[in-house]
Parts: sequence; structure tokens; C-alpha cells
Amino acid sequence: MEKKLMKGCEAIGEAAICAGARLFFGYPITPQNEIPEYLSSRMPQVGGTFVQAESEVAASNMLYGASGAGKRVITSSSSPGISLMGEALSYMAGAELPAVIVSIMRAGPGLGGILPSQSDYFQATKGGGHGDYRVMVLAPETVQEAVDHTIKAFDYADKYRNPVIILADGILGQMMEPVTFPEPVRPEDLPEKPWATTGAKGRERNIVNSLYLNPDVLEERNWQLVKKYEAMREDVEFDTYHLDDEVDVMIVAYGTVARIARTAVDTMREQGMRVGLFRPVTVYPFPSDALAEAADKAGAVLTSELSTGQMLEDVKAAIAGKRPVEFFGRVGGNLMAPEEIVEQVTALMERQGRSVA
Amino acid sequence: MPTVHVEKDRCKGCELCTRVCPEQALGMSEKINAKGYFYPVAKEADKCTGCRRCVLMCPDEAIQVEVKGKRTAPPEALTGAPLHYCPGCTHGVIHSLIGDAIDHLGIREKTVGIAPVGCSVLAYNYFNVDMQQASHGRALALATGIKRGRPDLAVFTYQGDGDLASIGMAETVHAANRGEKVTAIFVNNAIYGMTGGQMAPTTLPGQITSTTRAGRDVKHAGEPIRMVELLNELQTPAYLTRVSVHDPKHILAARKAIRKAFKYQMDGVCFSLVEILSTCPTGWGQTPHDACGWVVDKMTPYFPLGDKKVPEAA
Repeated sequence: MEKKLMKGCEAIGEAAICAGARLFFGYPITPQNEIPEYLSSRMPQVGGTFVQAESEVAASNMLYGASGAGKRVITSSSSPGISLMGEALSYMAGAELPAVIVSIMRAGPGLGGILPSQSDYFQATKGGGHGDYRVMVLAPETVQEAVDHTIKAFDYADKYRNPVIILADGILGQMMEPVTFPEPVRPEDLPEKPWATTGAKGRERNIVNSLYLNPDVLEERNWQLVKKYEAMREDVEFDTYHLDDEVDVMIVAYGTVARIARTAVDTMREQGMRVGLFRPVTVYPFPSDALAEAADKAGAVLTSELSTGQMLEDVKAAIAGKRPVEFFGRVGGNLMAPEEIVEQVTALMERQGRSVA
Repeated sequence: MPTVHVEKDRCKGCELCTRVCPEQALGMSEKINAKGYFYPVAKEADKCTGCRRCVLMCPDEAIQVEVKGKRTAPPEALTGAPLHYCPGCTHGVIHSLIGDAIDHLGIREKTVGIAPVGCSVLAYNYFNVDMQQASHGRALALATGIKRGRPDLAVFTYQGDGDLASIGMAETVHAANRGEKVTAIFVNNAIYGMTGGQMAPTTLPGQITSTTRAGRDVKHAGEPIRMVELLNELQTPAYLTRVSVHDPKHILAARKAIRKAFKYQMDGVCFSLVEILSTCPTGWGQTPHDACGWVVDKMTPYFPLGDKKVPEAA
């Protein structure tokens, strides 16, 4: 398979086409503009449609409409824009509509800045919109993984009839890496969606809706949705690095920070330190069981994020007090250097009374 | 001799039918129906000329007229489910007109409707076509998504004044400006009905609502928004018209406009928006009959009826 050097955002755009998506609705916002820019010229080449909407509110509701009509659809945005998409996300989850939303995180709160961040973990995994709903969230570490996740996200969205978020930061969106693409899916080969509003010809009419005025019916519906969210656990993904044997410290990190942590682990391993990395790949559903199991073989845990401590809550919940869990974060658009992680791990080991070798 | 058939248990006793009957052939019943309303009866049946004004005016599809063995029937594009609207509210009349247009063009099996948030939030129960439910104000964004994905479908939105002209203003203006080949049915009754009668963007100066208790003060709340005129400023071709459903003559004009709006879409000509002046007897605190009069006396001077923009292709 031919390797291409591509920018993360453009690779995500090409991956959407590869997955058979022919509709993109979006609104410009830094640092993800290369996705709409790329697709504005690429979609027409494959008979697809690109619409620059008047706002993220409108773009995400166009997504709702097109998804309701049975089409594979994608949008992308960054933090403040994803906030505006919270409305449609909730409605799509309520109406059980598949859609792929790419969230290229920048630093907040408010207008914040345009540099990379992981401060929208809560927004993606715990809500974003109103109501008791969840969306599947994939957190790629490399441009290749961003491609693979985007393609997989469409399948998961259809499988669960639910929105799926690709959660990446500005670094992954902006950097170039070699990527390969699988054989493209032809949209006409995708299975029909019998629930979609495609015209009530030869069948009962279909209604795409999230309104249930009867509290008993709505309660039942909420529990049905919970069953679906629980079923997503069968697609939980995680990755480990140097965790085959016991370690003194296990680092937990996702996305770009996992890459930085890998370098830190290499440095520490060279120095003879017993350190490894656990990387959640799906951050919803969170790989809680696997993480708890891995923690059994670790002396202590260091969670590192580009936030003030968001995934940290899921890590602590999974480990449930069995091991000390500490945190190291950088925010505002700043990154940590591998050396800073080494320092943090060393300090943690000293506090734990473990030999740094 | 023509016969008037009244499905009495559908009736909500608004008496609009008796008021529009030019021959006074209809009167109200002595007994109440299952809903607790008096309903029309052909008290002087021999006076009926079969003009069907009562059929057009009934907001609840409760009246049909048979002339020489031919009986009027509700549109196939409606499900026939009893409507939840208040007595005398003309939402039901507008539903029938949309059903008529869909039947007229033979597009029931390729139509997707979009229900809004507001009094017509349950519109998906009434249109016998595929339906999507939108969040407040976003119907035309959904319509854009559907139509761009499936240009072969007929897509219409059904929106009130709060939905289309307030919270959904951006979606409305931009869908019109992109020239989306969809049909927006804009029901303007100058008030928020479902939430309890608050001020709408189209509430008239001085009009009393639950959030303008001393009447709309234009110094603070601004002037009512004329959507058709506002959209007319856009350079993109469109069909923009304003009609009313306060009497049978105007209902026929509204029927023509709605049919045209769907036809333009099916022919791929342009975006269309039909603004329909509608009544809210409950919110306005008026009888259904007086509410129809209020449309004429108060609304039409501010919201003039007629075509504002017609595409050149037509």
C-alpha cells in the first residue's frame, strides 16, 4: 500500500471519503481548518457535497438531517465550536442517529487560545450537550491512527446508531506523518438504513425523533440507551508499553501526551527504571477493567494530560484507591517535555520510597 | 342535494364553520360530543349549496361535504390522527393545505417533513410522510442536510414565528441565501403559543402578551419582524409570499401558494417560504371568530399579503 505524507487534518478528511462519507457540513475554526478546506475541494471530486454552514449550530443540525436521511456524515470543529454542537449532539444521541464529529482540541476556557490542549475530555466523554447520553470517543495518537479511527468511527456510529467523536489535539491535526489508506468503501455498497427518512414508499413512514412526553416511556427509553452504551464496552481499546512485567510507576496518558510519555519511558528504561505506559484508545467507553488490572502490577500511577485533570477522574474511578494516583498536567497550549515526565516519575518514586536505580 | 357530514367527535366547537356558511345552513348541536364540545349540525340542510367553505375552514378535518355522490376527503398526506391544537386555532387548516399540496403533486412517498419546537412540535403525528423532529429553530438546517443528501426528496419545514424568526433566524436567512431547494411553511400568529403566550418576534406594537403585559413597547422590544420582506433583500432567487387562512377565500389563495412552493422545489427552481398569518385564539384571548377578524384588522396592515418575490423561471 502506497504511503503518503499528510497533515493530520487532511488525512482525517481523506479517511472520511475512504469510509464512504459524501457529506461534510462545517464552520471554520482554528486549529482544524484544513479539514473543511481539504474536503471543500475533495468532496466534489468524488460526487460528494461540502457545505460551509453559517455556524457550528447549523452545521451540526445539517448533520442531524442528513444522517436522518440515511447518509454517512461528518463534521469537524474545535473547542468553542464543539460547545455549539452540543445541542445537535444531544438530539442525535436522543434520536439515535449515527454521525462522526472530529474534535480538534485547543486551550480554553472561553475563547482561550488556539494552541493544543486536552481540556475537552469532559465535554466529549461526559456530555457536551444536555440529557443523559454518551457518545463513543476515540483518541488517536498518530496521524495513521487518526485515519484508522475516522474510518472505524463510521462503522461504530452505524453499529450503535450513535454519534462518535474523534478526540485529538491541535498537534495531531497540524503535524505531517506518512499514512496509508485501506481500500475505499463505495457509498452505494453500504447497507440501507431501514429507519431513515428516505420517503415512505412501500413501507410505514419513518419518524426521526427524540421527543417522549410520557415520563414512563422516556424513562424506559433512557434505560434502553444505557444498555446500548454498556454494549459499547465490547469495542473498548487500549494500548500498553512496557507493562508486561511489574513496574514501579505506570503512566496513563492518551493522544499526543502518550507519545511524549513513550519517549520518557524509553529514557527511564535506559536508566534501568521500571516504568511503563497505559494508553486508553477509546476514552468512552473507558478501558477501566484493563486499567485496574494493569494497576495491580504497578506501585503507583501517574496520569499526565494537557488539562488540569480530567481523564484523571476516570483513572481514579477505575483504580478505586488500590494504588496511589498522582497527576501531572500542562495547560494553556503548553506541552510537557519528556524530561518533565521523567522528573515527575522520579519524584513520585522517591515519595513512594522506591529505588530510582 | 348536497349533504354535510360531520364527524362530531373530532369537533372542538370553534364554530368557524357556522360563521363561514353563506346560507346559514349549519347550526350548533344541543348536546355535547365525547370531547365536551357542541358540534355543528346541518339544521337547515336544504339550504346547503355544496360550496365547501365549511370544509376548508374546519381546523379539525371534522366536516366533509357530498355533492352528487362525490364526497370531499381529507388529504392522503395526513394521517387522520386527531389534532391537539386548541379550538379554532388555524394550524389544522394549514396542515390540510400542506397535505393537499403533497397529494396534488403526487409526492407523498418521497416527502420528508420537519417538525419544529412550538405548538406544532407534534406535527410528525399528523403528516403521513417520513418526518424528522428538529430542535428549536434548526428545521432549515435539517432540511439542508436532508436535501443535500437526497436531492430527489421533497423536503418541507413547518415552523412558527419563534422558531423561524427568532431562535432560527440565522438558519432561515442562510438556507434562503444558499437557495436550498426546500419549502419553508412559516406560521405567523404573533405569539408564542405553546409556552403560554409570550412575545414573538412578530408580536404587533402594543400587543399584550405574557411578557409584554402593557403591550409590546417598540422602544425596548423593537418592531415586529417582517420575514418575507427581510428575505426579499437577499439576492438569491426565491419564492417568497405571505398568505392568510382567516376565511375560505384566503384559504384558497394559501392553497395555491403552498402548491406553488412545493412545485418550485420539485422543479429544482428555488428556495420557497410561505408565510401564513394564523390565529391563536387562546394566546390572544379571543373567540376563534374574533381572532380571524383580528388577523384582518390588525395583522394584515403590518404584514401585507401577496407575493414578494417570484423566481424568474416562473
